[in-house]
Amino acid sequence: MTSRLAIDALRDAVARLPDNRLSATRLAALDHLQGQGTPTTAHEDWKYTDLSDVIDISNQWLAHSAQERTPDVAADQINALKDRIDAYWLVIANGQVDESSVAVAQAAGISVSLLSDADVALDFDAPLANLNTALLRDGLRIHVEADAQPAKPIGILIVDDASSAVGVSQARVEIDLAERSTASLIEHHVSTGRSRHYANSIVRLVLGDHATARYVRIQERDSGHSQTGRLNVRMGRDSSFEHSAFDFGGKLIRNDLLIDLCGPGALATFTGLYIAVEGQHIDNHTRVDHRVGPAKSIQEYRGILAGATRCVWNGKAIVHAGADGTDAEQANHNLLLSEQSEIDAKPELEIYADDVKCSHGTTIGQLDESALYYLRTRGLDRRHAQQLLTQAFAQSIVDRVSIDLLQDTLREMVAVRLSKLIEGDIGL
Amino acid sequence: MLQITDLKARIGDAEILHGLNLQVNAGEVHAIMGPNGSGKSTLAQVVAGHDAYEVTAGSVTYNGTDLLALEPEERAREGIFLGFQYPVEIPGVNNAYLLKAALNARRKHQGLDEIDAFEFLKLAREKMALLGMDPKFLNRGVNEGFSGGEKKRNEIFQMAMLEPTLAVLDETDSGLDIDALRAVAMGVNALRSPERAIILVTHYQRLLDYVEPDYVHVLSGGRIVRSGDKSLALELEEKGYDWLREAATA
Ligand SMILES: Nc1ncnc2c1ncn2[C@@H]1O[C@H](COP(=O)(O)OP(=O)(O)O)[C@@H](O)[C@H]1O
Ligand SMILES: [Mg+2]
Repeated sequence: MTSRLAIDALRDAVARLPDNRLSATRLAALDHLQGQGTPTTAHEDWKYTDLSDVIDISNQWLAHSAQERTPDVAADQINALKDRIDAYWLVIANGQVDESSVAVAQAAGISVSLLSDADVALDFDAPLANLNTALLRDGLRIHVEADAQPAKPIGILIVDDASSAVGVSQARVEIDLAERSTASLIEHHVSTGRSRHYANSIVRLVLGDHATARYVRIQERDSGHSQTGRLNVRMGRDSSFEHSAFDFGGKLIRNDLLIDLCGPGALATFTGLYIAVEGQHIDNHTRVDHRVGPAKSIQEYRGILAGATRCVWNGKAIVHAGADGTDAEQANHNLLLSEQSEIDAKPELEIYADDVKCSHGTTIGQLDESALYYLRTRGLDRRHAQQLLTQAFAQSIVDRVSIDLLQDTLREMVAVRLSKLIEGDIGL
Repeated sequence: MLQITDLKARIGDAEILHGLNLQVNAGEVHAIMGPNGSGKSTLAQVVAGHDAYEVTAGSVTYNGTDLLALEPEERAREGIFLGFQYPVEIPGVNNAYLLKAALNARRKHQGLDEIDAFEFLKLAREKMALLGMDPKFLNRGVNEGFSGGEKKRNEIFQMAMLEPTLAVLDETDSGLDIDALRAVAMGVNALRSPERAIILVTHYQRLLDYVEPDYVHVLSGGRIVRSGDKSLALELEEKGYDWLREAATA
């Protein structure tokens, strides 16, 4: 039985938010949400992911901390995170847009503003998007001008600190890349603190004709914190979307990646790596809509699971009527390092066009014993050998990260994560 | 150096070695020959520590210590090297990385510092040149996409880098063209020294034209049925193995 969100308390919390151009939209979203209810495991898309815990956190937050001032995130913590990767950083800390970062990120070809700077037209759609809108203090709008090629990636740091109280935070970013522009984008989620926390983010990305987005999402939440996140991408003619996602942390993580191929010649390449250890639940749902042809989507997700964990990969490709010349590839590969780990992998294809090339493959396996033995005969101990083999499995996703200067950083992040996983005796 | 006494080993329910005796001293090169399925690889894997093979009786000591009590990596650090009959492909694990890790594991065990990156590269390039290998192989995945001959050369290259005290080469000469065979022989001869010992498991006399063994043993039906000097290899070349099998079962 999934818990129910305390709507009355939520209504009070919405009323307490700062009054700005979002106010009316928030209330409308709340009404929608009240009608919809939050997803339960009875919904096909949420079959394996039970939001009870997330709703409990929300209710606890609504009953207590929502009534207090939102705590700040320490500046030195934010600076340390920004220093790891050279980018134009925009910061959303505990759900509050850092306005000073908005000024700093204005660079050649990029303009950034607050969502509340203009009248807002937000769609009302899925329940968690409506929750996001209802509780949104403010969000970011990023515009990359036609033909622009910003010198550095645009980073969006979504950081939460739950050290003083239970927290719930919303992040919302609307990005558009105008015609022929090329930009690198980093969506980086981090959280710390011993209290419970639930973060909910929505990013919408619109790619103009001939635009290219290189997109990397990195999720490093505390193992006690949960997150639901959605990225919607709408792709124009001959545009290109190159996406890599890395889920390293978190307790319950649910990512939805929704890609609309709306212009002929569009190419979406999206990859992901999830590394789950004891107690983690990581769910990746992807959906690509081929609305016109010819267009191509290539997806590959890989997972490494250890201890009592559960992961979900659900990749849906829908080829709409008339989208001839569609090419859709889906792959999902998993390494299960313990008997208590579980993966639910499901490719789904719905094809309503004629001239279509689709392929999918999923694998679930263990480390190759003969490779382990070979490495050990060369003097490497079992753990080192396991680390090398898991790293090699993960590396093929790192290798496909299209923001070149991120590859080394990510390789290092993967190595650190894997050595923890292997040292943390997971019954290998 | 290596003393094998009454060794019985099985895989699954099948006993493969039925009481094998072999003594190898420092400075010696032994060739082990025998028909397919006679247990040559089983013997090599038991020495290296493969856990699919269960030793049911007998003992194996290496420089006086009980080898069977050691994990494969401990054996490697003690200076045992197995050249695999079928080297394993490990995509995504870099050849150079593995070699450096292997060298350092051994050095650490010996109380030495890690080899520095420059020294390592220099040594690797030297050995590769000697074996006629393209230095590009260093940066490829371990055996990834290597041809049969390249895999065997890579085993010898690893051996040359690690300078084992006891090398067991399991049919490293099979399927090689004459150039590769010469390279392998050169690697083996370069390793020969009074402190080291080498066991060459081979099917053919061919390799022994280039590497002269001190002893030749014939393994048949899980036992050593005959031992001699290098002339035994020539005799086998001429007569095949059937006469020995008959002799063994008679
Ligand atoms: N995994 C296994 N299960 C059962 N029998 C095996 C297995 N591996 C090898 N054998 C058998 O053990 C015997 C010896 O094999 P092996 O040591 O590889 O011989 P050789 O190297 O001399 O050709 C053969 O009869 C072979 O079929
Ligand atoms: Mg064999």
